[in-house]
Amino acid sequence: MGARHEVLISLDGVRDKNLMQLKKLNTALFPVRYNDKYYADALASGEFTKLAYYSDICVGSIACRLEKKEGGICVYIMTLGVLAPYRGLGIGTKLLNHVLDLCSKQKIVEVYLHVQTNNEDAINFYKKFGFEITDTIQNYYMNITPPDCYVLTKIISQPQTRK
Amino acid sequence: MKGLTLNCMDRKAEAYELVRRGLKNDLKSHVCWHVYGLLYRSDREYREAIKCYRNALRIDADNIEILRDLSLLQAQMRDLTGFVETRQKLLTLKPNHRMNWIGFAVAHHLNSSGSKAIEILEAYEGTLEDDYPPDNERCEHGEMLLYKISLLEECGFLERALEELHKKESKIVDKLALKEQEVSLLVKLGCLGEGEKIFRALLSMNPDNYKYYEGLQKCLGLYSEHGLYSADDIDKLDAFYKSLRQQYTWSSAVKRIPLDFLEGENFREAADNYIRPLLIKGVPSLFSDLCPLYDHPGKADILEKLILELEHSIRKTGTYPGRSEKEPPSTLMWILFLLAQHYDRRGQFDVALNKIDEAIDHTPTVIDLYSVKGRILKHAGDLVAAAALADEARSMDLADRFINSECVKRMLQADQVGLAEKTAVLFTKDGDQHNNLHDMQCMWYELASGESYYRQGDLGRALKNFLAIEKHYADMTEDQFDFHSYCLRKMTLRAYVEMLKFQDRLHSHKYFHKAAVGAIRCYMKLYDSPPKSMVEEDEEMAKLPPSLKKKMRQKQRKAEARAKKEAEEKNEESSAGNVSKFGKRQHVKPVDLDPNGEKLLQVEDPLLEATKYLKLLQNNSSDFLETHLLSFEVNMRRQKILLAFQAVKQLLRLDADNPDTHRCLIRFFHKVDNMSAPVTDAEKLIWRVLEAERPDLSQLHGKSLIEANNCFLEKHKDSLMHRAAAAEMLFVLDPQKKAEAIKLIEDSTNSVMQANGALGAVKEWKLKDCISVHKFLGAVLVDPGAASRWKTRCAEYFPFSTYFEGIRSSAFSKSAEDKILNTRQNGDLNNHHEATQRGDSYSVNGKLEAFNNLTI
Repeated sequence: MGARHEVLISLDGVRDKNLMQLKKLNTALFPVRYNDKYYADALASGEFTKLAYYSDICVGSIACRLEKKEGGICVYIMTLGVLAPYRGLGIGTKLLNHVLDLCSKQKIVEVYLHVQTNNEDAINFYKKFGFEITDTIQNYYMNITPPDCYVLTKIISQPQTRK
Repeated sequence: MKGLTLNCMDRKAEAYELVRRGLKNDLKSHVCWHVYGLLYRSDREYREAIKCYRNALRIDADNIEILRDLSLLQAQMRDLTGFVETRQKLLTLKPNHRMNWIGFAVAHHLNSSGSKAIEILEAYEGTLEDDYPPDNERCEHGEMLLYKISLLEECGFLERALEELHKKESKIVDKLALKEQEVSLLVKLGCLGEGEKIFRALLSMNPDNYKYYEGLQKCLGLYSEHGLYSADDIDKLDAFYKSLRQQYTWSSAVKRIPLDFLEGENFREAADNYIRPLLIKGVPSLFSDLCPLYDHPGKADILEKLILELEHSIRKTGTYPGRSEKEPPSTLMWILFLLAQHYDRRGQFDVALNKIDEAIDHTPTVIDLYSVKGRILKHAGDLVAAAALADEARSMDLADRFINSECVKRMLQADQVGLAEKTAVLFTKDGDQHNNLHDMQCMWYELASGESYYRQGDLGRALKNFLAIEKHYADMTEDQFDFHSYCLRKMTLRAYVEMLKFQDRLHSHKYFHKAAVGAIRCYMKLYDSPPKSMVEEDEEMAKLPPSLKKKMRQKQRKAEARAKKEAEEKNEESSAGNVSKFGKRQHVKPVDLDPNGEKLLQVEDPLLEATKYLKLLQNNSSDFLETHLLSFEVNMRRQKILLAFQAVKQLLRLDADNPDTHRCLIRFFHKVDNMSAPVTDAEKLIWRVLEAERPDLSQLHGKSLIEANNCFLEKHKDSLMHRAAAAEMLFVLDPQKKAEAIKLIEDSTNSVMQANGALGAVKEWKLKDCISVHKFLGAVLVDPGAASRWKTRCAEYFPFSTYFEGIRSSAFSKSAEDKILNTRQNGDLNNHHEATQRGDSYSVNGKLEAFNNLTI
């Protein structure tokens, strides 16, 4: 009964008042406990770190860190994840697009992140947005196999057309 | 004059001095009496103030000021005849002042002579010109007209009221109130057809107002007080609501009301249509909305089947049964949420916990899930875990005051008072933390806090909280003073009269009732086990060697001086700051000299204090069993036999089969039988009254007390609480029969409730009842063996209860918990725990994961 609703996906910033939501997400999504520096960096990155809401339920997040490099600022994506039942609905895309838009507006030179070598799905996902594998690091991870990871980078040239 | 100004500057004693001197000099000066009255009024001594004003009037009988002030006081003290007199005088003195006419009319209304009030209002209207009112007074005039019409309705002159209404329609500004008034008159007069038209018009303005639906049903002859309808009526109602639904598709009331009267298959269909869209949308309050339906027989089962079907279908195919489009993933979570609350309501706590844990796994970021899990654990008896969960929910949104308050409430229920205070203080204004809650009249906090202290045995602090609540109600009564003049001026007469009626029954409010009950219990405990008195403390002090004594006294003095100094400093700061900010002095807050309530404990006659509250309770909440139970207890202790008997009679009138009633009855007559023969005249009188009343009590008719007890037991063999009451009385009547009494209790069987056949059966015994039986076994019968046997037995029935230390509760030892498979049941806040558990089964899956910065 009733027409099919258009479900709203919205983004909201992370503040100290709702930091616990980010912690809950990380606990559910990743097998690792992040330390306080991670959360401090996330809070400090301002508009780059966002929580994604599907029909007013917090289901995903992207957490970034701003780093200084010669030539300007670059963005390092610390985590990006969506709760299992809500994948495939375009939420991850929205989160990543948000960061990429911000980068093109704020003269960020590059965006990079680490992906475990066997995570095919993640690698394909980022390739769709124009990321490329620029490096491989052996034994990056301690407790999981394979312990190696790729570094995926995207150079932002101003102005950038959105994908 | 000097006295008045001094009064405003807080130098009250001097002020009084001066005024009295003035009076001594000239006893005939009405100004002095007036000022004296004003002083008393500012001190809230209203009776004294009235006396002073009357004296002033004797000297100068036509002084308008004095008359006006006197009328306000009389309204406040409800001296209604005096009020009418004063108002009449005011009117005769100044008939061109509109307020005097209105005031006179209101006075008559309050004095229950409504017809006179109407006459006065008509006379007043006669003095007005035709083009009245001018534009800026239209609202007020309209209000007065509506007031007059409602007066006519109250006095029963319905036809006249309707006439008035139609005549003056153009002058009344509040059109909605006009319509509502009209329709209520029409219904009372029986003109149902016209009433129906107006109700439909009202519905088009607001299709979610339940009162309009009720009224419309009444007009169509399809209304029943208790919701009981014949099959015919149900069909008609169904058709009626379906037609309304076509008209108002967006209204939720039109979909919810049919659920109340539909039955069987129709109910199932309607419920299905109602629930589905709300589950998609994700309405957390859906269960509270459906909750009243659980009291209707059979509907709970239908709902259960329905929701389980939905769940099953979504799990399998991701769609609702009978539809092909996929539902959003959140729907499953909301269904699990609803199911958990459903099972909680039906008492199947382990199933409920399973469901809610599933929901939390599905989407751990939804705060409502944690709140509901806490509530389930609270119902199951594990208050500590419930408080921990409430705290977890709170941490997920630190800016939400509601969750903070809920967390505070749970902590107080778990007796974690210090923690609760710290949490509550997060949302109060800086600088004045604890008092802020008191100033805001935050009564739920004071109630919960008082009850927690009472449970822990700290009677001083508990009393402090309960008495604070009583003070709030006294403040509310005071606050109405300003409205007497204000409402007459602004003509908001209907609201004013309603407010006065509300103030008259102010003390019947739920919070006051609870606070009074708590205070009376504290006083009774004080009476039963008096605290160490000051005398004893001094004796103990005397035993110490003199050097220690000196040190202790010095310490005490220093502490007092420090406290005083701090308070003074604070006052200076705040007043200095305030003077600079506002240019005038703020009211200085009195220092709380007794933060632990110790002075309250030293009260001379606790039962006398208790009686004060008891009287208020009896006047205002006389339909509650609890009121009379307490009255019985207090009066037995005070040896007031007839008052206790009165209490027993009231109990019998309210609920003769209640186990508590039975207890009081038997105890009373047991005591009376054991009293010595009457000696004084008063005692003989009491005896005679009792003798006369005794045959009227059917329970005791022609039987001895022991036989009566057995009768009661036979009648209610199956109920635990009744058996417990009978056992207690057996012990009271014959202390030798302790073993028999214990046997009675232990033989009670905990049968399965008829209700449902779904997942798991539900036993009859409630946790609360089992706890009270356990306390009884331990304290009254003093049999630790029986008490521990009972405890182990109940621990099986209530595995979550911390009181019985059931295996699933948080009171159970840590090592045992680890052995249990599902450790998440105990509300442990250990995120690592969950993470490592998950880490084992966690494989690199899903499309959108990036493992970054893994810490070691």
